[in-house]
Amino acid sequence: MALIFILLPLALLVAGVMVALFVWAVRAGQFDDLETPAVRILLDDEPAPRREEPPPTPTDSQREGERS
Amino acid sequence: MTRPTEPRGRAAPGRCVHCGLPVPPGRRDDPEPFCCNGCAQAYRLLHDWGLDGYYALRERQGAPGAPARTSGRSFAAFDDPAFLERHARELPGGRRRIQLYLEGVHCAACVWVVESLPRAVEGLVEVRLNFATHLAEVDWDPAAVPLSAVARALDAIGYSPHPRQGSGQAERQAEDRALLIKLGVASACAMNIMLIHGALYAGDAQGMSESFTQFFRWVSLVLSLPVMLFSAPAFFRGAWAGLRQRLPHMDLPVSLALLGAFAYSAVATVTGQGPVFFDSLTALVALLLGARYLQQRAQRLAIERHEGLRRANLVEFARRLGADGVAVEVPAETIAAGDRLEVRPGELIPVDGVVLDGRSTLDQAVLTGEPEPIPVSAGERVFAGATNLGAPLTVRAHAVGAATRVGALLALVDEALAARPPIVQLADRWSRIFVVAVLALAALTGAWALLGEGLTATAALERVVALLVVTCPCALGLATPVAMTVGLMRAARAGIFVKNPGAVERLPAIRRVLLDKTGTLTEGAARVVLWDGDATLAEQVLALEAASIHPIAQAFRRSWDKPVRVVRPVDEVNETAGAGIEGRVDGRRLRVGRPGFVAIDAQAERRLAPALAAGLSPVLVEVDGALAGVAGIGDRLRADAAATVAELSRFAEVQILSGDHPAVVARVAASLGLPPAAAHGGLSPEAKRDRVAESTAGGWPTMMIGDGVNDAAALALGDVGVAVHGGTGASQVAADVLLTRAGLAPVLELFTGGRRLLGVVRRNLIFSLVYNLCGASLAFLGLVGPLGAALLMPMSSLTVILSSMVGPSFRAPRRRGA
Repeated sequence: MALIFILLPLALLVAGVMVALFVWAVRAGQFDDLETPAVRILLDDEPAPRREEPPPTPTDSQREGERS
Repeated sequence: MTRPTEPRGRAAPGRCVHCGLPVPPGRRDDPEPFCCNGCAQAYRLLHDWGLDGYYALRERQGAPGAPARTSGRSFAAFDDPAFLERHARELPGGRRRIQLYLEGVHCAACVWVVESLPRAVEGLVEVRLNFATHLAEVDWDPAAVPLSAVARALDAIGYSPHPRQGSGQAERQAEDRALLIKLGVASACAMNIMLIHGALYAGDAQGMSESFTQFFRWVSLVLSLPVMLFSAPAFFRGAWAGLRQRLPHMDLPVSLALLGAFAYSAVATVTGQGPVFFDSLTALVALLLGARYLQQRAQRLAIERHEGLRRANLVEFARRLGADGVAVEVPAETIAAGDRLEVRPGELIPVDGVVLDGRSTLDQAVLTGEPEPIPVSAGERVFAGATNLGAPLTVRAHAVGAATRVGALLALVDEALAARPPIVQLADRWSRIFVVAVLALAALTGAWALLGEGLTATAALERVVALLVVTCPCALGLATPVAMTVGLMRAARAGIFVKNPGAVERLPAIRRVLLDKTGTLTEGAARVVLWDGDATLAEQVLALEAASIHPIAQAFRRSWDKPVRVVRPVDEVNETAGAGIEGRVDGRRLRVGRPGFVAIDAQAERRLAPALAAGLSPVLVEVDGALAGVAGIGDRLRADAAATVAELSRFAEVQILSGDHPAVVARVAASLGLPPAAAHGGLSPEAKRDRVAESTAGGWPTMMIGDGVNDAAALALGDVGVAVHGGTGASQVAADVLLTRAGLAPVLELFTGGRRLLGVVRRNLIFSLVYNLCGASLAFLGLVGPLGAALLMPMSSLTVILSSMVGPSFRAPRRRGA
């Protein structure tokens, strides 16, 4: 049972490391936005082909009036 | 650009491929119909950028679409060095970062599209969109792409960006993080102490050697030090501040219990005599900090979101005309009196000034409450905040920024908000009595133990400490925040956004409800309310009016959303400003306009009468020289206005405050079943404010409901101010409650939900007091030890939390996307 005099401080040391990690995570901003990541995780598996040709600028493509 | 071949939109026939809304006549036969140019442009851009996945994602989420509202601005103002200096900051590596508030974010797929934009825009490094606040953090490389191009790209797909307004965001974030770290440290320590105390309690029951007991107590003492020195000082500071203002609140009994229990337990540990309470006191800190964090988080969300909205509707930029006659978009702050500005149709007038050139009509409803557009021409005065409906205008600035009429109105709002007394929350009122009672009881317990039972001083002290721990108002401290947070989150999902939780406590007292007319009781946009004529005429009138941007033409289009089966040849169109329009449709000569533009005889007079009697603007339609139809055009009452007013009248006196003509207001009041005395027309914004002030000063708990800049000061002064959906930024800043769902019916839900929510709060408070009473009597008799305290306290807190979760406050929200 005397082992507890060593094990308990050791366990607390591990707990201390966890708290330090938590503090780091908070400081890094990981808890600032709790809503978007919940949404984002649903999105990442969407395949999105990368386009090679240069993208058109927004003003080039205002062609909506030409169909009738 | 390649034409899309595969069917990407799964819209139903007659629905816009991009947003799913009905497609206007004339576009229904397109292979890919769109409801508006904005949607068409957004759809093509998303395809060209390889971001079609948006539609599939949205489909999978079951989220509704929303039309892409683009502003068409050049956003040149975003490249202004002064603008970048103010809103953006530099990152290492030459990049810059800015926070932009995006309009039009409505579902999870929006997050994906916006965050995928760097694939399409070269030089745009990263975008992170916060779905809750609609704030996007944008990192870009100024050497590769100007911010204006990024802004144009966002605008083109329907997310009009605005620079983030409001200050103190960095401080708030730092505060949030600090509180979360305190909560984390307290929770970690409390749980470990709880484990150790589990061993101690087992030891008490079964026997444990003295060396282990002492070791465990010392470890608990060391573990509770960070809690007492790092996490708990928040309560001590609050208690001290309350004492100095002679307004003791919940923090005082909490601090007393913490300090008393800790001091006693520490001494007991050092001397090896007496019980220790480390588990109870650390659990207390962790629970209370948790509730505080939840509440703060919910409140912050409200602030962030509405700071973003704050100026979205107000003047942000202007087009300054240089000496060469070229208009350059600049930030509104850089405009000076004397500058010449161009104002395009659909834009806000950015300054108070005089029209130099051009003829147009202005919508001043948000400023004055008059729904009728005002015609303006050279030499006439215009006011900042009015919307240009017609043609481009050139305006010379006379007053800018705070010196404008709308600037003065906003100053009034700030003044009224600053003058508001803070609300004492129900729980704080209760806790004042509670503090006194606990202190008195503690003294009584000590005295009784010493004198009545003849115990030793240490034994008496032990009893007092047990009493303090057991009566510590943990459940009382949780009762209000948890119930409020849960209730207000549900309300927000049901389209009722409570910015100021204190307003909920004042709801049941409300005895007078003052309503704005234009945009609140009515829809705030002209429609064809009466139509006396052949239904088939509608298509021809629409065809004639199709090209016109006049408000009357818009009213026709808004009201008659009918499919056009035949494309009608229209020619010889001629529009006479302020009178009407004529042209040849299907070979027949059509004239549409006010009486006088279309000739009237006795028969026409008769047909005009109903429209005039209803207070509508009559518009006549003549076909080949013969009168064919009469339309009455006006601002229609909201569909739920009459029912809502009737319901409100059951418990409150309802009045209308409007800037519109008294006769019009009287007619609206009559149609809602209100007595003539309840209709007040022709009120200036200041007069509205004074009416509300008089009402509250006269002992009438008053609710004000409005939407315009002219209502804002009145909203701020009412006991409860409600801004309806679609209102101006100023009204949303001033109001306590924002409706994010169209119509007036949510006001009724606010009343019933608020009443239920207060019921839950009260139930929680009563429960926690009963618990405290029982605990106190047991402690008084010396029947509660550390184990009893450690069991009773979390149980009561848990009950309060459960009671808040199942409490029937606001109705369960309808299913909405994401």
